[in-house]
Amino acid sequence: ECSSLAGIMLLEVFLALGAVIIYFFLSKKKEETLSFKEGWWGKGQKPDAEEDTTIRPFKVETTEEELSDLFRRLDQARFAEPLENSCFHYGTNTVYLRKVVSYWKNQFNWKKQVEVLNKYPQFKTKIQGIDIHFVHVKPPRLPEGRSAKPLLMVHGWPGSFYEFYKIIPLLTDPASHGLSHEHVFEVICPSIPGYGFSEAPHKKDFNSVSAASVFYELMLRLGFNEFYAQGGDWGWLICTNLAQMAPSHMKGLHLNLASVTNMGFTHLLSILLGRYFPGLFGFQEEDVRQMFPFWKKGIYRILLESGYAHIQATKPDTVGCGLNDSPVGLAAYILEKFSTWTDLKFHNLEDGGLERKFNLDDLLTNIMIYWVSGCIVSSMRFYKENLQKGIGRQKHERLTVRVPTGIASFPNELLHTPQAWAQKKYTNIVSFRFMPRGGHFAALEEPELLAEDILQFVGKVEKEQLWKKK
Amino acid sequence: TILFLLRSFEYSQKNAVLVPAAALGVGGILVFWLRSRHKIKTIEMGDGWWGSGERPLKGKEDESIRPFKIETSDKEIEDLHRRLEQARYTPPLEGAAFHYGFNSNYLQKVVAYWRNQFDWRKQVEVLNKYPHFQTTIEGIDIHFIHVKPSYVPHGRAVQPLLMVHGWPGSFYEFYKIIPLLTEPAEHGLNEGDVVFEVICPSIPGYGFSEAPHQKGFDTIATARIFHKLMNRLGFKQYYVQGGDWGSRVTTNMAQMLPQSVKGLHLNVVFVNKQGLGRIISVMLGAYLPWLVGLTREDARRIYPFMQKNVYEILRESGYLHIQATKPDTAGCGLNDSPVGLAAYILEKFSTWTDKSFLDKDDGSLESKYSLDELLTNVMIYWVTSSIVSSMRYYKENFSNDPHLTAHARVGVHVPTGIAAFPQELLHTPRVWAKQVFKNIVTYSYMPRGGHFAAFEEPKLLAQDIMHFVRKVEQL
Repeated sequence: ECSSLAGIMLLEVFLALGAVIIYFFLSKKKEETLSFKEGWWGKGQKPDAEEDTTIRPFKVETTEEELSDLFRRLDQARFAEPLENSCFHYGTNTVYLRKVVSYWKNQFNWKKQVEVLNKYPQFKTKIQGIDIHFVHVKPPRLPEGRSAKPLLMVHGWPGSFYEFYKIIPLLTDPASHGLSHEHVFEVICPSIPGYGFSEAPHKKDFNSVSAASVFYELMLRLGFNEFYAQGGDWGWLICTNLAQMAPSHMKGLHLNLASVTNMGFTHLLSILLGRYFPGLFGFQEEDVRQMFPFWKKGIYRILLESGYAHIQATKPDTVGCGLNDSPVGLAAYILEKFSTWTDLKFHNLEDGGLERKFNLDDLLTNIMIYWVSGCIVSSMRFYKENLQKGIGRQKHERLTVRVPTGIASFPNELLHTPQAWAQKKYTNIVSFRFMPRGGHFAALEEPELLAEDILQFVGKVEKEQLWKKK
Repeated sequence: TILFLLRSFEYSQKNAVLVPAAALGVGGILVFWLRSRHKIKTIEMGDGWWGSGERPLKGKEDESIRPFKIETSDKEIEDLHRRLEQARYTPPLEGAAFHYGFNSNYLQKVVAYWRNQFDWRKQVEVLNKYPHFQTTIEGIDIHFIHVKPSYVPHGRAVQPLLMVHGWPGSFYEFYKIIPLLTEPAEHGLNEGDVVFEVICPSIPGYGFSEAPHQKGFDTIATARIFHKLMNRLGFKQYYVQGGDWGSRVTTNMAQMLPQSVKGLHLNVVFVNKQGLGRIISVMLGAYLPWLVGLTREDARRIYPFMQKNVYEILRESGYLHIQATKPDTAGCGLNDSPVGLAAYILEKFSTWTDKSFLDKDDGSLESKYSLDELLTNVMIYWVTSSIVSSMRYYKENFSNDPHLTAHARVGVHVPTGIAAFPQELLHTPRVWAKQVFKNIVTYSYMPRGGHFAAFEEPKLLAQDIMHFVRKVEQL
């Protein structure tokens, strides 16, 4: 009796163990991809007729009326005095803001900036019911026997396609800029629907997977079967989703931001002990320097800097309303990010350090894109569509990325993601490099550094034909 | 010498001395401990200077109380109209109602009313119907209204009552309740022998009170300034009432000078969720509310817990998060666009009155309020340019964490009355409130109403205040 009972128990244990092992195997073999998200974002009902798939050239335009309306609003701006000695600790300092507005009225030349914007060919095409705007720049000259590699670059908030204007020439014509000309790109920078000159979705639920699906269609429509993708801020998420959705089309994914939203027990453990046993958790010295003390550099920093995300993820139409009506309010809101996300220490400066890394013409051109297109509200809705279910709860956050990935880690990025964490999601990291300087708006602030990193990453991928090994 | 004396005794005699000595020692400690428990801890009053530049060393502060009248001009109204006419709107998403914030289709209707029917000059006369004053305290001008009963029957005592508003409200929120408190009999309220003279100040940085020029202006500073105000008006003992920030300020007043506060009445109660004990009581309370001191109504209001106390709070606290971190950024556009200001403020008057209003295309705003009164409150923020300074109050109060917890340990011992309105954002059961408010005299479950109690249900609130004060006076 005893032995048969023991025998049964042993059998049960083996069965259980076997089930666990089989489950493990199966779940590893079960390769999940992110499905393409069908959608129709136009007004009202989707018409029966087939969608117009033409690609139409587009030019940014302005009018006297637009300019005089802007100047009238700048003239009538009402400012509240800052507290004594508050610098940028309470947000954008209005003493400095007045100087920006004065420049905006008297020196900034929007007509000239429109010509600058139009120097690259722009187009519009209808996808899933809305007009998608994009810049498409081909190399001015190609070395013998070379072909241009298509590179999709996606911006974020509060940026725009304009952020890439300095880096585009470094990628389409590297030789003229002292960079290796082994790889030359043709660059496609679309505007996320709801941003800039891309039409805003009229229906609810347009999230990063929707944007990735739209951009996927765009690349196919442009005739690209294989391409590279690059992104930061929302561009990071959209390009990641694209890599999860169409891995066979993506040769490589390059990111200047690599957030990890699916935190587990090991992450918690590494936060608690990583400072003392970095090697145990795969942390490098630079990782420890940037992440610890975690209370100050992680939690406190997130709380201090994420108010905008919280309100945009819950009441975008409310918070954007005044900003679409007051260009000065819009400038204050957007400029605060260009200050703080470039270097947190800029809080302590009366002028927020804005002109140390950017010039006012570039900053105001980006703001003007939000102003003339009236897109601030729809740009904020993207936060609600992506965050309303909470962070770490969506399907795509649990899926991995197997496409060859390159990560450029900039030191002044708000939150640092160590390679040890990134590689849990991006299982095929080919290149992870610490950049010597720079913050969140990498393409605008440090275009050479970013271009170099993209080039060396693509070099690695191409040399070993890594996209074929999957 | 003592030791020598002790050693000189025999063993048994030593015991005879040691035991009573020990008993005396223990007894002494016990008495000391008991007394220190009863010795009420208060918040230090401290002092402050909020004017611009350095505090003047010489000269006494001007303590005069100057009559004040709200004024407007053609220029002000024309500027407003121009801005309303040039407003740029973004169409809402299909089927969004108020789930993405203030619906811009409805906003356009509000703005059309504001531009074409709302009469600011007439509203200024309405505002001026009560006597206004200004006086300088700690370097800034404090605005307040002071309404006395027009007729006091012989022998009836008039209770001074300080009522403090919150954000995004103002002293104007009290305009409907004031007559019910100063002349109850004329409004069909006869809650015993209670008649009030009402003082409603504007929190510095709000409305017609000057905004502080220095950092650090929090509810403690506000409490101290309002005590000084009441003192300057000649009151030694008074009742205080508040909701929203007013709840925090009046609570601090009670903690600071309990001897001056006859009674504290609140329509919202903030208690810090204290640790493990609270978590356990919440979990148990879902199944056995009576076991943890929750009534059936408490349970109805706080469960399902995650939905009502975590999810809904997260959904509604974006404004708090950005105002507590970047007030100058958040307020900048609102001080320049009256339409943006209206959307931001009126969203709260919709959602905080009734959460189900989120499902309505017009936020059901006009079901409980008139556009005239809603816009008058918005205009107070607009004409005084006080939206940014009003938002800074959040940062000043949430920045200093240890500061807050120190005051959380100071209990409230003055007689307290709590009116718990069903649509308030957070419900605090009496059993949780008792941990801070040691002397709850009345706790009422109100039948209807939300966050802006004085504005929305003035009669219900007035009745509860009188019921509370009557009880305190009888004590």
